[in-house]
Amino acid sequence: MFDEFYFLQQLINGLTVGSAYALIAIGYTMVYGIIGMINFAHGEIYMIGAYTSLIVITGLAALNPVWLPLVLLVALICAMIVSSSMGWAVERVAYRPVRGQHRLIPLISAIGMSIFLQNYVHLAQGSRNIGFPSLIDGGFTFGTSEGFQTTISNMQLTIFATTLVCMTLLSLFISRSKTGRACRAVSQDRKMSSLLGIDTNRIIAATFVIGAALAAVAGLLLGMYYGSIDPLFGFIAGLKAFTAAVLGGIGSIPGAMLGGLILGVAESFTAGYLSSEYKDVVSFSLLILILLFRPTGLLGKPEVEKI
Amino acid sequence: MKTSMSKLAAGAGLTAALMTAGPAAAEIRIGIAGPVTGPVAQYGDMQFSGARMAIERINANGGVMGEELVAVEQDDACDPKQAVTVANNMVNEGVRFVVGHLCSSSMQPASDIYEDEGILAVTPAATNPAITERGYELIFRTIGLDSMQGPAAADYIIDQKPDRVAVVHDKQQYGEGIASAVRDNLKDAGINVVMYEGITAGQKDFSSLVTKLKQANVDFVYYGGYHPELGLILRQADQAGLDAQFMGPEGVGNEGITNIAGEAAEGLLVTLPPSFDEQEENQALVKAFEEKGEDPSGPFVLTSYAAVEVIAEGIRQAESEDPFEVSEALRQGTFGTPIGDISFDQKGDLESFDFVVYEWHSDNSKTPVE
Amino acid sequence: MVARNFGHALFCAMITLIISYPIVGFDLVFTGLSLELQQVEAGTIAGILLAVAAVFVFQLFRPAIMGTLARLVGLNPLANRPPMEQNKRLKLERGALTIIVLLALIWPFMASRGAVDLATLVLIYVILALGLNVVVGLAGLLDLGYVAFYAVGAYTFGLLSQYLGVSFWVALPLGALLAALFGFVLGFPVLRLRGDYLAIVTLGFGEIIRIVLNNLTSITGGPNGIGGIPDPTLFGMEFGRRVKEEGNASFHEVFNLPYESVHKVIFLYLITLVLAVFTLVVIRRLIRMPVGRSWEALREDEIAARSLGLSRTAVKLSAFTIGAFFAGFAGTIFASKQGFISPESFVFLESAIILAIVVLGGMGSQIGVILAAIAVTILPELAREFSEYRMLIFGAAMVMMMVWRPQGLLPMRRIHVQLNRLE
Repeated sequence: MFDEFYFLQQLINGLTVGSAYALIAIGYTMVYGIIGMINFAHGEIYMIGAYTSLIVITGLAALNPVWLPLVLLVALICAMIVSSSMGWAVERVAYRPVRGQHRLIPLISAIGMSIFLQNYVHLAQGSRNIGFPSLIDGGFTFGTSEGFQTTISNMQLTIFATTLVCMTLLSLFISRSKTGRACRAVSQDRKMSSLLGIDTNRIIAATFVIGAALAAVAGLLLGMYYGSIDPLFGFIAGLKAFTAAVLGGIGSIPGAMLGGLILGVAESFTAGYLSSEYKDVVSFSLLILILLFRPTGLLGKPEVEKI
Repeated sequence: MKTSMSKLAAGAGLTAALMTAGPAAAEIRIGIAGPVTGPVAQYGDMQFSGARMAIERINANGGVMGEELVAVEQDDACDPKQAVTVANNMVNEGVRFVVGHLCSSSMQPASDIYEDEGILAVTPAATNPAITERGYELIFRTIGLDSMQGPAAADYIIDQKPDRVAVVHDKQQYGEGIASAVRDNLKDAGINVVMYEGITAGQKDFSSLVTKLKQANVDFVYYGGYHPELGLILRQADQAGLDAQFMGPEGVGNEGITNIAGEAAEGLLVTLPPSFDEQEENQALVKAFEEKGEDPSGPFVLTSYAAVEVIAEGIRQAESEDPFEVSEALRQGTFGTPIGDISFDQKGDLESFDFVVYEWHSDNSKTPVE
Repeated sequence: MVARNFGHALFCAMITLIISYPIVGFDLVFTGLSLELQQVEAGTIAGILLAVAAVFVFQLFRPAIMGTLARLVGLNPLANRPPMEQNKRLKLERGALTIIVLLALIWPFMASRGAVDLATLVLIYVILALGLNVVVGLAGLLDLGYVAFYAVGAYTFGLLSQYLGVSFWVALPLGALLAALFGFVLGFPVLRLRGDYLAIVTLGFGEIIRIVLNNLTSITGGPNGIGGIPDPTLFGMEFGRRVKEEGNASFHEVFNLPYESVHKVIFLYLITLVLAVFTLVVIRRLIRMPVGRSWEALREDEIAARSLGLSRTAVKLSAFTIGAFFAGFAGTIFASKQGFISPESFVFLESAIILAIVVLGGMGSQIGVILAAIAVTILPELAREFSEYRMLIFGAAMVMMMVWRPQGLLPMRRIHVQLNRLE
């Protein structure tokens, strides 16, 4: 029996997680587009964003304020600052010195960084799961009174809205601002753009910072939505987001958005119609299939090997 | 405390690595093997504190057959690989009685070595039934089995006569073991189990699972696993408006569940061993722990205490330090311990071990359910 | 100059403060029911400030410091020596390997049981690392799911012994071959992918295999694993106190020795040693053969190698399959040593550790890899207080190696011919 309200609910669940994946995927896709490396430590940046926002929210709660949106805004800004600084530092310490070397070297450096950051937070904050207060409650319910009722919570709406705002701002930034234009130029031809007077080092650092800031947004949103955080949860989310980026075509920003949504929905339907046990298997298989049959992803441009 | 302990373990490991030491004449060496480091080190602390206390108190009362008990502590970090190394170190050290290991997955490979080498091992915490199902002579435990906890939970559920039950587990040894026992017992009793599904431990998004539970219209959910996942399931179920009674095993019955689930943890049912530290006959012992600044309320403190006591009493009754003779004695006698009067069956398991159903509250307290 | 440096140094110090203070400087603590923020003790705060100050000073005097460092390196008398002559170098390397093997041979008769057991584990990691070295170090394919083949080997033995009662010696080649087959089958489609995609896909495969092993409860026992895996026998002689399988004799009875439990451990160790030496020799030979040369050629310059007529797929596939073969080997030994296996022994972390060994040892270099395997396995045993920091140090070491010495501590130097430039 096909229950359209059940289907709708699973779709909403999938889209919620998917749009957060998309926010993280932006970081992968921008970095890959500009310097052609997988920033393996990006998932950890997202995790650090979640930790920072929880620390700030807890700290503010002790001061006993006030207006919830303000608390969230402050937490969001702090998380973005910390994550972006982390993104900047990671690029500076682990990636810039090895740029231009054999492909394997920055990748191994990134894996090392990912292990390092995981254990950094693990040592500082312990390995246990910490509950994240649910600050946004309530929601809307629709559906027949005797059948399945679909619920869309305010938290889910917040996630959609925030993602939408972030994506719009990002597109505007990339297409309109001076730095955005420089970003596009550098990703097309790094040498040429540096000849034309663009400070490529600065632009590359900016990419890391923007990606990290968006990951921090995702960290706050998903931390609240899921309800707990631990030092390892960035790793899996990072892998999923990377899958999303590849799915949509790595290097393409709308692709990351699309890939994230597709992946989130695919996972949700696997859990909803098959079994939760195979959720990860399905997303990894999806990644492998895409890479085998359409390595450029859904919206990516074919890459020409230059000699 | 913790550093001194890890230093001790390191020292023991180093000595073991450097020399083969024979046991001195007037002492009985008791090995304590459990996690000092690693993700479950907090449970290891309980084991070590219980076992140490027992050794101290037995020595204060003149030891066993005039000999003093000496602890040999080793850290296995709950890693099966390191557990094998630890077991070999125990052989090295001339230990013939071991209290440990804590985790089932460590106990299993280590027990092969103990049985082979004629070492008697009593685990105060490993609950997997498979450990004692291999016909080993020298492996005992002072804790109930998953296969006892499952039926205890199932009995309760059967009494409640729910219409539609879902059984969920985390695909790990402990969780799936209990969950499958619960499912089988419920099915035998004719309860309608509409769903049996595994999740991935460490996952955070259970919205799809909760939606599925909601659609299946379940009124009772049994979860086999640990608190981090159940905490999230409770919370996400609460937000999605799923109205069902949840129940879980010992692994979810700790403060962590409230810290994650908050208000949603209210009313959760948990099967737990009775709180031995609240029983009257144990108050003197509880006081001794408190004087040392240690907490006797952890689930493995008194089972570890009992493990040492059982070994000591076994030696006394066998009038021998030969592990095989002690194991004979253990299978015959009944032993008074802080976890009650216990006796062992042929496999080395406790004849009986009670589990009590508690209702968990969102202020971290619990009340027994009748 | 100093003014510009000052600004930059200040900025770097700020960043250090931002990334360390919120995460390290506060503890999230549950007091009763509510989550609260607590300041950590003053020592930690002082540590953070010290780190910030160190970054500031370093960045301020960066040119000077780097200059001094460079001069210090220049002072090292070994730094600028002409490369050793090839024959000499080869001889030295062979001599060192022989000494290592000889030391390993007498080790079990000097050390205690626990130490021998630990040494067996080290040897298993040596085999794994040598195998992965072929894939990563020589062929330049980053395989992040290497542990999957290790699991295939271990599970082959576990399942065969459980269902068919197969012994160690039959399972050993079977496990290795099956792992190689897996490597071949999985490798065939994915090796077309470029370096970093390959890394992710292999990571995915590693996870899929582990999850599938965990989910197939009816066959593999799922999370309960497989127990009762037999120890190796010596020509039908068992090393246990009692003979477990009918038809086998017992080692101590045949040779009329008193039963010594340590025999079993030493025997297992010696088998592992023989297999490790076998692995070492086979790979050493392979490196000199055309196939080994083509691995390196492809790693160095794929386009050039292909235009010289090397088949990309065939070359990569051979490296991948051979690497998987040795992982299967190691897996079988591991299953026998443990007597019990479960999916939790084959997690991604294990792949990362093996990769760290290869990277630290110097990609491609065999002696380096062997020494790194010993160091990585034994150091945490010796310093258990630091075991919490082990992974942190691993991660940092991987980054630092890539930044400062991507060729590894003991890099491989290939035999090469160089034409002298005309003056």
